[in-house]
Amino acid sequence: MAADTRGSARGAKGAKGAKGKPQQRPGNPLRDPADRRLPRIPPPCALVVFGITGDLAQKKLLPAVYDLANRGLLPTSFVLLGFARRDWGVGEFIDLAHKAAKEHARTPWRQDIWNRVAAACKFVPGAFDDDNAFDTLAETLLALDESHGVHGNAAFYLSIPPDSFPVVLRQMQRTGMADNVDDSITGYWRRVVVEKPFGHDLPSSRELNELVDSVFTAQDVFRIDHYLGKETVQNLLALRFANTLFEPVWNSHHVDSVQITMAEDGGIGSRANFYDATGTARDVVQNHILQLLALTAMEEPVEYTSDAIRTEKLKVLRAISLPDDLTRYAIRGQYTQGWLAGQRVPGYVEEDKVPDDSKTETYVALRLGVQTRRWAGVPFYLRAGKRLPRRVTEIALTFRRAPHVPFTASDTESLGQNQLVIRVQPDEGVTLKFGSKVPGTVMEVRDVAMDFLYGTAFTEASPEAYERLLLDVLIGDATLFPRHQEVEASWTVIDPLEQFWAGQEPAHYRSGEWGPAEADEMLASDGRVWRRP
Amino acid sequence: MSTLWDTTGTEVIKALAAARSNGAAVTSGLALTFVVVAEEKHVEMAEKAATTAAAMHPCRLVMVVRREVTARTPRLDAEVSVGGRLGPGEAVQLRMYGRLALHAESVVLPLLAPDVPVVTWWPGMAPERLATDGLGVLAERRITDSAVQADPVRALRARAADYAPGDTDLAWTRITSWRSMLASAVDAAAGPASENVSVTGGQVYGRPDSASAALLAGWLSSRLFAQVQVVESDPKAPEGGGVPDAAGVSGVRLDLEGTDPLYIHRREGVGVVARAGRPDSSAALTEREIGELLGEELRRLDADESYCGALAAATNSRGLSDRSATRSLIWEDPAAGVRKASAEGSTDSPMVTTTGVRGTA
Repeated sequence: MAADTRGSARGAKGAKGAKGKPQQRPGNPLRDPADRRLPRIPPPCALVVFGITGDLAQKKLLPAVYDLANRGLLPTSFVLLGFARRDWGVGEFIDLAHKAAKEHARTPWRQDIWNRVAAACKFVPGAFDDDNAFDTLAETLLALDESHGVHGNAAFYLSIPPDSFPVVLRQMQRTGMADNVDDSITGYWRRVVVEKPFGHDLPSSRELNELVDSVFTAQDVFRIDHYLGKETVQNLLALRFANTLFEPVWNSHHVDSVQITMAEDGGIGSRANFYDATGTARDVVQNHILQLLALTAMEEPVEYTSDAIRTEKLKVLRAISLPDDLTRYAIRGQYTQGWLAGQRVPGYVEEDKVPDDSKTETYVALRLGVQTRRWAGVPFYLRAGKRLPRRVTEIALTFRRAPHVPFTASDTESLGQNQLVIRVQPDEGVTLKFGSKVPGTVMEVRDVAMDFLYGTAFTEASPEAYERLLLDVLIGDATLFPRHQEVEASWTVIDPLEQFWAGQEPAHYRSGEWGPAEADEMLASDGRVWRRP
Repeated sequence: MSTLWDTTGTEVIKALAAARSNGAAVTSGLALTFVVVAEEKHVEMAEKAATTAAAMHPCRLVMVVRREVTARTPRLDAEVSVGGRLGPGEAVQLRMYGRLALHAESVVLPLLAPDVPVVTWWPGMAPERLATDGLGVLAERRITDSAVQADPVRALRARAADYAPGDTDLAWTRITSWRSMLASAVDAAAGPASENVSVTGGQVYGRPDSASAALLAGWLSSRLFAQVQVVESDPKAPEGGGVPDAAGVSGVRLDLEGTDPLYIHRREGVGVVARAGRPDSSAALTEREIGELLGEELRRLDADESYCGALAAATNSRGLSDRSATRSLIWEDPAAGVRKASAEGSTDSPMVTTTGVRGTA
């Protein structure tokens, strides 16, 4: 059959409209925005990890590097450079990385891919206060330009305790490793990745931010909040801003209240030292929960870019108000011994290395307000805790009752309020709860739930949060990373609560219950109840 | 799972509805209907691949196996499952015998999930003109595989002649990792300040009869505005890339303006970039199973402009992107030849029908 010869030579896109010999566009001719099969791949670069022997590095970071390599998402020129206080050669480092990747990787194990990752591994031993070690590190990094063609690009991942930050950052400053005043002049980038906690209150977080920002520049600092790497959290933006259905009712005219729950069934595990000094409010409310609140309450960003989104989130965080009556609306609790999922579990103060008289909270319930036109008068109830009946994170919007219902009161007795629930984890998905007629000869209306379920089967192939975030760092996409102003605005919310709670005895709740009675009373006094997630 | 012997389309719909209400929790939210047109010998492979793809994209899987087109009595056998052996979603497997096989769309049309896109995949032989298969006409996206045809390069020309926006070929999907690797290698060659890099041309090393190699050369030609050819790989010459992979590509040379060319080839499962005076660098160059290729195909349900450009350049065709995205059914009786030979009377009169197809937005 003859080829269709209608039309001009539009087959090759880009030739369109060009007279004479078509010209390549500037930049890489093989990249085309219309070509959406090609994955986003970072430029040549090195990933330098401090604290490579730590728990997080082994459980999340190293497996994520392997998974990215396995998915073909790492650049051809890539180096993984480990730094730790171990008397090691690169061989031991590779052994450790091999074990970590093999144990925790999500993608299937492929030896040839691993061999490539191993060939790209480097290790520099040394303590954080050892000048020589950092000089060696700087030289090694410089040599990578020649030997591996990384073009000077490097991301430094600080997987270390916060009290080591200053010394490591100073070392980087001293050796000039962080130098990257303007990447359009130097032609390469240097980025730093920091993990939570971002300080323990506003002054300390400010201090930390100033330090990091003075060594690097503000746009080169990536603060990891792994909740933002979750598919469902990103889907919240799609749900709100890609649809016409939800946004018109996403305000105080229609929403009665919002509940954000982050429950864990586990205890504090081996983190006693850290946890006892931190508590739930600092551990998860300041970062994860307030970020979820910001994404739920934010206005539509002008475009889907990191600046636009972070600007809108910041506006919400700054608009958060605390209730006047903190005694009633800021509850904290601590778990006592009890039964959870058929097993006897110890109380918080009986956990290893926790002082008997500890007043640290393992549960927080709060009522916040968001002082904007959209949300004025809508209470945001937040709760987070450990040793609750099951592990679940969700955002639930409860809608107002219909102003008028033509049915008799007895017909609608079992009709609750409409709810839209975004289930962040597990059972990722969305639930819509609404009233429906009970089949039968009389008019009776009751609640039913309509489920959209990503289902574990469907999300198996989706990248893990760390994978996604690590890739974003190397590409330089800061959309999913909170800015330092956001961190500071969050501390502004938490600090007054911590001051109020200081010295107070937390309410107690039995392990395996949904928190202390005070939290239930808090909602009861507003005429509401907690949703059972 | 329920199995229906010698049944009707209506019974299949009932069985699916029953299976859905029994296993409701497994499937909520369908993104598409995935129609697989398989020959009996490909069923096992197609099932495995479609199951993998269904695990990535919530879909209703409808697999049609046409058998014994010349059988005297038409007959339909069906197997309906939800969250069963054919993936986590809803699945219907249909075996059609006799003249029914020529009217497969009559059974499939009512089985399509309401108002979601339809994708049709031919794991084996695909019709020379997709419009002759009713199951191709009702789909927004059509996936063929030139690599499994008797003469892949000729098959590719047929695809170009028959092209409509929304068509893709697995020979194209197979080279995504190659293309990604090449783009990344050019990024790296561009240097730190990402200055403009000018790639003046190149060459693809591979099997001359490989549709993937032809498409890769076509893609490079369309992007570089240069003639990029496929030359047979020479296992002895290192720049020739050694032994071709399953897609039939062993290496690529890219000519850069004013400097040494880049050689990208496959070695021990990884892609290696070599350039005179520079250390070799490497990245994963994965060979994926068909299920994963399908997973990539189902991510995007609109026309693939890059494929269109590559196909046009690979086959020297023009105006591909200007064609209509919808097809009208062309009636063709594959049994006619057989029948004539056995001197039987014809039952169906030739006809051309236009099936109402959803426009692609």
